[in-house]
Amino acid sequence: MSISLALFSPPTQPPLLFPSSPSKPHLTLIPHLSLRPSKFHTTTKASAENGAGTSPSAAAALEIQPDQKVAETPKQVVQKDERSVGANGSAGAVETEEDKVLSQFVDPKWLGGTWDLSQFRKDGKTDWDAVIDAEARRRKWLEGNPETSSNDAPIVFDTSIIPWWAWIKRFHLPEAELLNGRAAMIGFFMAYLVDSLTGVGLVDQMGNFFCKTLLFIAVVGVLLIRKNEDLENLKKLLDETTFYDKQWQATWQDEKPGSSKN
Amino acid sequence: MASMYLKSFVGLRQQVSTEKPHYFFTSQSQTKPPRKLKLQVFASKSSPRLTNRNLRVAVIGGGPAGGAAAETLAKGGIETYLIERKMDNCKPCGGAIPLCMVGEFDLPLDIIDRRVTKMKMISPSNVAVDIGQTLKPHEYIGMVRREVLDAYLRERAKDNGAEVINGLFLKMDVPKDGVSPYVLHYNGFDGKAGGVGEKRTLEVDAVIGADGANSRVAKAIDAGDYDYAIAFQERIKIPDDKMAYYEDLAEMYVGDDVSPDFYGWVFPKCDHVAVGTGTVTHKGDIKKFQLATRKRAKDKILGGKIIRVEAHPIPEHPRPRRLLGRVALVGDAAGYVTKCSGEGIYFAAKSGRMCAEAIVEGSENGKRMVDERDLRKYLEKWDKTYWPTYKVLDVLQKVFYRSNPAREAFVEMCADEYVQKMTFDSYLYKTVAPGNPLQDLKLAVNTIGSLVRANALKKEMDKLSV
Repeated sequence: MSISLALFSPPTQPPLLFPSSPSKPHLTLIPHLSLRPSKFHTTTKASAENGAGTSPSAAAALEIQPDQKVAETPKQVVQKDERSVGANGSAGAVETEEDKVLSQFVDPKWLGGTWDLSQFRKDGKTDWDAVIDAEARRRKWLEGNPETSSNDAPIVFDTSIIPWWAWIKRFHLPEAELLNGRAAMIGFFMAYLVDSLTGVGLVDQMGNFFCKTLLFIAVVGVLLIRKNEDLENLKKLLDETTFYDKQWQATWQDEKPGSSKN
Repeated sequence: MASMYLKSFVGLRQQVSTEKPHYFFTSQSQTKPPRKLKLQVFASKSSPRLTNRNLRVAVIGGGPAGGAAAETLAKGGIETYLIERKMDNCKPCGGAIPLCMVGEFDLPLDIIDRRVTKMKMISPSNVAVDIGQTLKPHEYIGMVRREVLDAYLRERAKDNGAEVINGLFLKMDVPKDGVSPYVLHYNGFDGKAGGVGEKRTLEVDAVIGADGANSRVAKAIDAGDYDYAIAFQERIKIPDDKMAYYEDLAEMYVGDDVSPDFYGWVFPKCDHVAVGTGTVTHKGDIKKFQLATRKRAKDKILGGKIIRVEAHPIPEHPRPRRLLGRVALVGDAAGYVTKCSGEGIYFAAKSGRMCAEAIVEGSENGKRMVDERDLRKYLEKWDKTYWPTYKVLDVLQKVFYRSNPAREAFVEMCADEYVQKMTFDSYLYKTVAPGNPLQDLKLAVNTIGSLVRANALKKEMDKLSV
């Protein structure tokens, strides 16, 4: 039972990403393993004996599924159940139950509070994309299931260990391609339009100050306004920068020069 | 960077600055000896000399602001009345004071329960960063009990000649001219606990409103409202072995679960910890945020018992009007709480002192009547001295408390030694030090890098949920 449950993808990823894993009968459990803890109560009954039997410790979870790349959802589900019951039971007092508080995010590649880069090797080099994916999954998991920060297992992962070119290759380049494409389209069209209207060729256009200004505006526009909402966002940002100043100035607007009223 | 902000601020002011010495003697019709460096753009009114008595000033509110103001006034020879409604008030408060306050206000060291020399910042994904390695051995953040600090400052004011009145300020009658007194109406308690107290009045020439976030003096002068945050705090007594961890360490938790626009904290107090959080925009969810804060700190406060629950408002920005006639607001009543850290004690005490100093100077040690211009000097000095601090913290809050990726970047940046040094230097000594430009540049690049990485990860995270 535990092994088949372990083949499930974590609740954050839909089954589509792991087409090879679960067999039909187990698929029914997937929708229950949502990010909302309330749903866990119903599904944990089945695996209750599974979790209760083993002591709630991260080591035990790791032993059972050493090859799994994904987080141990069934174990975590059970522990969450115990904890929420405890919380409901103790009114006014902070958790007084004896069970050890431990991290629910468990992953074989997550060692000592950071990603173990040696497990991410591909073709003799570190697969940075996989590290980025793993960290994104971890953060997503924690966003939905915030857990206690622990002194025994401090988290020391720093995103700067992933080299700058890995970030650029993955995130900046596709966006850059998009923006450059937009700029090129706008540029070509405007150059053609101006040429047809005024007869000034592309090279001569570049010499004109007005055209240079338009070019600057076009580039800035492409960079700043990428989605429709960006226009509103930019206006709000501008207001924000001066809002605090205005609040501080308010008392000075009060004072009228030449006033002798006391 | 600080000077750039300062220039823009000065330019917006309507009153001309008092620093330019060539405007020294432009005031006309002065029948008395020229006042110190007073720039007059408009016709001055000669302030009458007080006969047979000293200037009377009432300070409403006996917290750090009121206590500091009353002490300075009394020392300056002014007849001072300090009106406080509850002498043993335990104001719910983080209780952190910077190092400079101990020196500037001559606080005895036994007032300080704990010296915090380490802080832990914990990001939404529980990345924990320790800050404080750059602190020198004599530097610390002092944790105090408000009832102890407030009582000490009040006692000192009393020792210097201020009359401390146990009473609840109700309202005040504003005079029509510049010489008649303000009439304060209050309920005097006479030291009797409970009971309604009897209605009394007091005539004074000037009033300092130091009565906190829900200031009645502010209402009396129509000072306007401010946005405020609700800070909710639970005092938890935890087992000794867990308390040892918090011996000299305070924690800050950031994350959407803990607060959408502020942070959750665990601050050590005398023999227990205060676990709390705050918010401006989602006040209704404060209980939820508190539960989340407790959950994030669970491992470290396991087995603790809640001994007290408290909440209080924290102003987010100054009131639209901080001064009217001969009434000035200081401290929380004026709204002098910084953004980002929510620090208010030091600024309350300092503003109380500054306002009192302006009154003492303007009245020439109590010999003359004061007018609005004298009190305005305090506002000028205050804004000039502390505007950079407030603005920088505002920018930090806007940039780093925006979203979870921004908070992750914030915690990552805190790991940098230069950041720690700059942060502590500016916090402990209340100056915005310029720092090394090369390091600043490196810091800027690293900050942008952190923000970009965190936001990129957030984009990945959003893709996962789809």
